[in-house]
Amino acid sequence: MARDVIYLDNNATTAVAPEVFEAMVPYLTEVYFNPSSMYDAARAAADAVARARRAVADFLGIGSTEQVLWTSCATESNNTAILGVARANPSRRHIVTTAVEHPAVLEVCKDLQRSGYEVTFLPVNSDGMLDVRDFIRALRKDTLLVTVMHANNETGVIFPVDELARLTKETDPAILFHTDATQSAGKLPLNLKGSLRHVDLLSFSGHKLHAPKGVGVLFVRRGTPMKPLLIGGHQQGGRRAGTENVPYIVGMARACTLAAERRSDEERVRALRDRLENGLMERIPSLEVNGRNAPRLPNTTNVAVHYIEGEGMLFQLSAEGICASSGSACTSGSLEPSHVLKAMNVPFTAVHGSVRFSLSRYNTGDDVDRVLEVFPRIVANLRRLSPYWDSERNRPTGRA
Amino acid sequence: MAWEYSDKTKELFMNAVQGKPGTHLGEVQDPDGVGEHGSIVCGDAMRFTFRVERHPTDPLQDRIVEAKYLTFGCTSAIASSEALCAILEEGRYTPIESLKVDNAAIVKYLGGLPSQKIHCSVMGAEALQAAVFDWARRRGVDLRELGVDILPHEQEEGRIVCKCFSLTEPYLKRKIRELNLRTIQDITNATKAGGACTTCHHAPGGLQDLLDEVWGRQETAPREAPTQRPPSVGERPELSPYQFAKGIEALIEEYVRPGLRQDGGDVEIVDIKDWIVYVHLRGACAGCVGAGMTLKMMIEQTLKDKLDERIRVIAV
Repeated sequence: MARDVIYLDNNATTAVAPEVFEAMVPYLTEVYFNPSSMYDAARAAADAVARARRAVADFLGIGSTEQVLWTSCATESNNTAILGVARANPSRRHIVTTAVEHPAVLEVCKDLQRSGYEVTFLPVNSDGMLDVRDFIRALRKDTLLVTVMHANNETGVIFPVDELARLTKETDPAILFHTDATQSAGKLPLNLKGSLRHVDLLSFSGHKLHAPKGVGVLFVRRGTPMKPLLIGGHQQGGRRAGTENVPYIVGMARACTLAAERRSDEERVRALRDRLENGLMERIPSLEVNGRNAPRLPNTTNVAVHYIEGEGMLFQLSAEGICASSGSACTSGSLEPSHVLKAMNVPFTAVHGSVRFSLSRYNTGDDVDRVLEVFPRIVANLRRLSPYWDSERNRPTGRA
Repeated sequence: MAWEYSDKTKELFMNAVQGKPGTHLGEVQDPDGVGEHGSIVCGDAMRFTFRVERHPTDPLQDRIVEAKYLTFGCTSAIASSEALCAILEEGRYTPIESLKVDNAAIVKYLGGLPSQKIHCSVMGAEALQAAVFDWARRRGVDLRELGVDILPHEQEEGRIVCKCFSLTEPYLKRKIRELNLRTIQDITNATKAGGACTTCHHAPGGLQDLLDEVWGRQETAPREAPTQRPPSVGERPELSPYQFAKGIEALIEEYVRPGLRQDGGDVEIVDIKDWIVYVHLRGACAGCVGAGMTLKMMIEQTLKDKLDERIRVIAV
């Protein structure tokens, strides 16, 4: 693994695992055939796709493999799930989702809203959690779909999708339940026959769990009414046209197996994250952890640093070879700070000063030590420049 | 999105955060001019101060010799603040002369800024103007007499157009003219207006209307008509929702609670929707999965028998 940077942005993307890369290579160089072709040689490609389907089905705890649909990314999986069920069920015109979804869900819902659907965007509290009472109130007779993410990409806060899916189905079995599991796949167990048995559709992508970018999965429970998004081919039973991306599909399957084999890494990653988080809280005044009181992914910490702006912190971290990300307006490409932190009502003195560190099994104690060494200095540097911070007394000026 | 900053921008920022000699962070002691722009809510804010070498008789011949800033903001906001102070100190301008240091001068000094960061340089120019006003007030200089056509309080006064960043109509119109802003995107890049919720883009009196007023009406895409939703037709319940809910409350109080309380438990009605009663079991009952299921059935059966057979109970 290349170690010229300290990589703490694993919720954005991950390094391809060496085992995954190795598994993929033969399907780039030797077994390059189109799995739909008729000659014997192509059989190996088709078999590889079938084996991969079995591996992913095992990863999801399900028996029949035809419920696994290959896509190009989680964004495609989310689009297919939401638009696909909307097209197949035109009589229902209401969708329930949350205010903190990834744009790949949020924007699709807003787009449907513009074309006449009604959408309920459930609020969250200051810890990023949903109120089950709001959820129940939101379900209606004409509700088509509930789409609620499993774990939040920015804060790592986990939603109880097992419970929410059960409540949905007990209220009205015809309401479909989709969850975007992009951040939880590989980090939390996903059992679609067990606790997630009421979930109809589940999305995730390869590149968040050490497979390459360019491959995703959509689980579609048998019997779920859904129309395809991509048409123009017989592949995957006509539910997603397009030649299967064999090497990437093989990589995805290997990454899933690897994640299941290495579940024990979770506790080590959690310990590193906790050490980082506690260390930062000890060393830096006016710093809070967003979503601290909620159940969270073991690898994610999102800190709110009061009275300074996030981009200046990332810039200095980058100069130290440390990769992280921020929900600040200046890094978002828009002028608004993160919709997730805004929905959580993070105070205005801190909403622009968030930094997310997200770890993987490839991080070490040295990585954490390095951040604990440089980050307090980076914060102090910017606070010296801030009109809202009194660096001599090391406290806010009270001007904000 | 990686940083697209010029080397000069990166250098000024790193020098500033490291507090290298020759940088300008802080506040001038006993300043002759103080100007502020932006707010922490909006994501960037600057407090700018300068000191002049006072001319013994003619304030118009004062010269800016020291300039400092405190800035809350991103890399380019801090670099723009540094650039402003450096330009002023190098130029040894009179305060009136300094007004020609506009955002374009700051961008030039930085060797360019990404278009979505232009507002950082505008913040520097605005803070400077505010500080020059402050200087004029302190030194008894009448700017209007000199033909300086700026209204110092227009930021605070006037109809708010962009609610997210609290920007007023007079301010935005002046900026549209001064900076030759031709599209909504131009306005957002320069002032941040319309960069958040975007509802002011095409609202009556919004950004497009301001552009039309300043530049004359341009051809624009037709506005979307608000979609009309048909009123929902509800089914007529036999019992009013109030009577139905009251009935359930009474039945649970009479038949369910006493039994549960004996065992140290309780039940809460979370919500009632149509024929579905959502309940939350508390205390001793909550922890016991088997009992929970049995209780749910027991409650459901009681309500079915005594009130309406369509009732279903869901445990939350």
